[in-house]
Amino acid sequence: MINLKVNGQSLLSDAPPDTPLLWVLREELRLTGTRYGCGLGLCGSCTVHLNGQAVRSCQINVGDVGAAAITTIEGLHQAGAHPVQKAWVEIQVPQCGYCQSGQIMQAAALLAQNPNPTDKDIIEGMNGNLCRCATYPRIVGAVKRAVQMMKETNHG
Amino acid sequence: MAKDNLPNVSRREFLVRSAALSGGAFLSIGVPPALMSGAAAAAAEPATAAFTPSIWFTMTPDGTTTMHIVKAEMGQHIGTAFAQIIAEELEVPWSKVRLDMPLESVEDFAVYGLAYTVNSGSVTTEFDRIARAGALGRIALTEAGCKLLGAQMANCHAAEGRVIDKASGKSVSYGEILQKVKLDRKFSYPNDFKQVKLKDRSKYKIIGKSVPALDIPAKTNGQAKYGMDVFLPGMAYGALAIPRSRYGAKVQSVDDSAAKSIPGYLKSVTIDDSIGKCTGWVVALAETYPAAVKAARALKITSDPGPHGSLSLDGIMEDFSERLKRPEESAAWVLEGDVDAAMPASEKQLEAQYTSDMVCHATMEPINCVVQHASDDSWHVHIGTQSTSFLRMTLTGYLAKVLNKKPEELKVYVHQYLVGGGFGGKQDYDDALAAAYCVKELGRPVKFIQTRESQFATSFPRTPTLHKLKAGVKNGQLTAMNHDIVCGWMGPRFAVGKQFNNGTDWLQLDSVDGKKADIDQWSIGGSDHWYHVPNHRVRAWNSDKTTWSVQASALRTVSNSYNMFVVESFMDEVAHAAGKDPVEFRLAMLNGKGGNRGIPNTGYPAGTPSDYYMDQLWISLPWPNPDTWPKYESGTVGGALRLANCLKVAAEKAGWGKKLPPNTAMGVALSSAEERQSPTWVAGIAEVTVDPSSGKYRVNKLTIAMDMGLAINPNNIKAQIMGSALWGASQVMSERLTYKNGAIEQTNFHEYQPIRQVDVPQFDIHLIESGRHPVGVGEPASTVVAPAVANAIFRAVGARVRHMPITAEAVLGAMNKKTA
Ligand code: FES
Ligand code: FES
Repeated sequence: MINLKVNGQSLLSDAPPDTPLLWVLREELRLTGTRYGCGLGLCGSCTVHLNGQAVRSCQINVGDVGAAAITTIEGLHQAGAHPVQKAWVEIQVPQCGYCQSGQIMQAAALLAQNPNPTDKDIIEGMNGNLCRCATYPRIVGAVKRAVQMMKETNHG
Repeated sequence: MAKDNLPNVSRREFLVRSAALSGGAFLSIGVPPALMSGAAAAAAEPATAAFTPSIWFTMTPDGTTTMHIVKAEMGQHIGTAFAQIIAEELEVPWSKVRLDMPLESVEDFAVYGLAYTVNSGSVTTEFDRIARAGALGRIALTEAGCKLLGAQMANCHAAEGRVIDKASGKSVSYGEILQKVKLDRKFSYPNDFKQVKLKDRSKYKIIGKSVPALDIPAKTNGQAKYGMDVFLPGMAYGALAIPRSRYGAKVQSVDDSAAKSIPGYLKSVTIDDSIGKCTGWVVALAETYPAAVKAARALKITSDPGPHGSLSLDGIMEDFSERLKRPEESAAWVLEGDVDAAMPASEKQLEAQYTSDMVCHATMEPINCVVQHASDDSWHVHIGTQSTSFLRMTLTGYLAKVLNKKPEELKVYVHQYLVGGGFGGKQDYDDALAAAYCVKELGRPVKFIQTRESQFATSFPRTPTLHKLKAGVKNGQLTAMNHDIVCGWMGPRFAVGKQFNNGTDWLQLDSVDGKKADIDQWSIGGSDHWYHVPNHRVRAWNSDKTTWSVQASALRTVSNSYNMFVVESFMDEVAHAAGKDPVEFRLAMLNGKGGNRGIPNTGYPAGTPSDYYMDQLWISLPWPNPDTWPKYESGTVGGALRLANCLKVAAEKAGWGKKLPPNTAMGVALSSAEERQSPTWVAGIAEVTVDPSSGKYRVNKLTIAMDMGLAINPNNIKAQIMGSALWGASQVMSERLTYKNGAIEQTNFHEYQPIRQVDVPQFDIHLIESGRHPVGVGEPASTVVAPAVANAIFRAVGARVRHMPITAEAVLGAMNKKTA
């Protein structure tokens, strides 16, 4: 049994330690918001936070997570109202939606580290996340909008 | 979507239940049995009595209106568009609108018709009839409300979910009406349907407004549900071992001794491929998905590679060149004037050969599904698919075959989920057949997910193509044009039924050359452009070998994606030869005369794409009679002049002709995708900078002007245009699928590279609302980008690249050729 800290809860997994975290989250813990796209760290669909850092959950074995705190899209904000999520709805980013959990988790980690990103920071920071619907322009727009929202709450 | 919590419940039960929950009253409008042919009417009879079921919407006494969306939700936000159209005429407040996706079954097929989402056709084909359904609902409610208010009909109207009596100023809400009155208003088909007066567009309050898409919030918080997000008790997992060939392999032996040591491994199943689907497929089954993947990789399979086992892309291109030498085997698609006479009579002739590579859909969601054989002997597929109805029909036929039953004995249901990207790549259904076969073999529900690797290996690519073009120019005008196209035709592959139904030629049109040979519109369309060329001929060759070996299929805009690249690149070549500006040259040919006038306002039958005749499939099923629907206006009305207008707008907005930095230029291209009879008019201008030392280029900006008749949701249309234009950019810049020894070579996103954030250009988008019938917006813009980029590269550095994708090496090569 492996003890995992997911979205603030302590959860048990009986998966073999070499199981990619992605599949434990999705199929065992049924946190299906984390998506499988490539399994090789090439697309970013499976992005979650490990101690606040954006990581590709398809590239981490569940046995290696240890005591690190895992955050999935379901746990980013209890009401789904993280500034990045709000900006995503306001700017109407998602099309098919499949890549968007990963995009949002990537963006949220990016902004946690760099609350004042330049356009270049955003574009480069989001470049690892594929979107086949090519919602790219709106992703950049929404990250900028989230920056604004975060400032408003900080100053308000 | 409501259906998530209603597993295995048929539409009728859903309605009964919601009625019980909500106090016994709801409004719905059903299609009367009269609308359907005999068998269909019988099937639909119990379902369409009184007001159940609704095919388009259901309203409950709390005033909530749930729109039933039979189209796949795959990023185009079609549910929101349909809901806007219905809500507008029904006069319900937008805040009370919800969406769901009906279950696909034999019974509901008779009511809803074909659930199939392709061709950017959803709004085009459904707009009229769903607007009328909304209007009839409003009339029924207004009459009932008027009675409740004791008012005169002439004084009553509906707005914002209320019926209002102008005389007394009193009003009653739709919800109250439903609570107090049992509605029993019948409308006749087709007369009432045809005659109901639709709103004047100037009165629109919801159509034309950029309301937020109803499916978006769930896509930001992890709640959105795709096929693989379903869990059923006792479910096992399946992963596909990569078949030896893309198509036609035959499994000879499977050794699973290594797989047996993987904890959780259950068994391997060689899929019955006797209907020509899933050829050479072996699926490993296990208790978890990672175990299934491991096991699939551990299987030692020997296969006969089948008839295409030694075929490679080179061989396909050689086959194309050989065919081109045999004009007697071609079929003519366009035949105007006399090309053979006009060509020598011209002053200047030019010839060019173009080619395009294979590409595939590579949807971010790999194909997946969950299949269950329920205790009542019914079969359930949980899936996000574009081919909801075809999947059910094919699976019914397949199960009948492998279970040795009659199709009529089988109850097959398709539960539709969100589609994580379609682009034409989710209209095949091998995965569902394979999963169902595994369910039969294992006796447990199975969740089947393609690994990215098996997804590439079994993708349904766009065919490679070879084109030969010839033009004759006289007095600075294009007087003669010949376009020869060789490729794999996808139509014959889709006509699986052919093999079961004695070789009918459904999906194929007749050639126009007197041979009346089969010709595949989906492989040739787009070459029938809207320019006035007095002598114009298009001839096509089918490389059947290619179709079957690579499994050629429809990919976003279908044949337009290569034909527009070729036609529009060549138009610039001709303009250059004629010494004309590319914009002026095009405008002169877009005169809207003759055949390019567009079809006069006769229209098409709503909701039933006339090209698909499902009764040709081996399972004959009820089909709504197309003649009884009101006709809608053809998208061709206005013809080439609308395309000219788009071009003028794009050229003006982009500042065509303005001075640009060195090695930077604009290129232009037009498109009328999807088909000649269903055009969306679009002009695109790409500004591109080329690095002459490396041949690398960057698309700086895309200016796009599109005439879609009526913009249902402008903000979403802009998103669709950006997404599809970037799809086009991706195809011209970096996407390439290759084929070797019968198999697709690429395995994952390091080898197949769609566009990413760093390559995204700026956008300037202009929506042109010409007041005509609304047409599709999710695809057409993708077709102008490749040729506009090619033309810009030529204007920037003089390099004409006649192959898609355009690599830096090719640009460099073409530049050197120019200087040599
Ligand atoms: S699924 Fe993990 S990066 Fe693609
Ligand atoms: S929204 Fe469809 S893949 Fe990104």
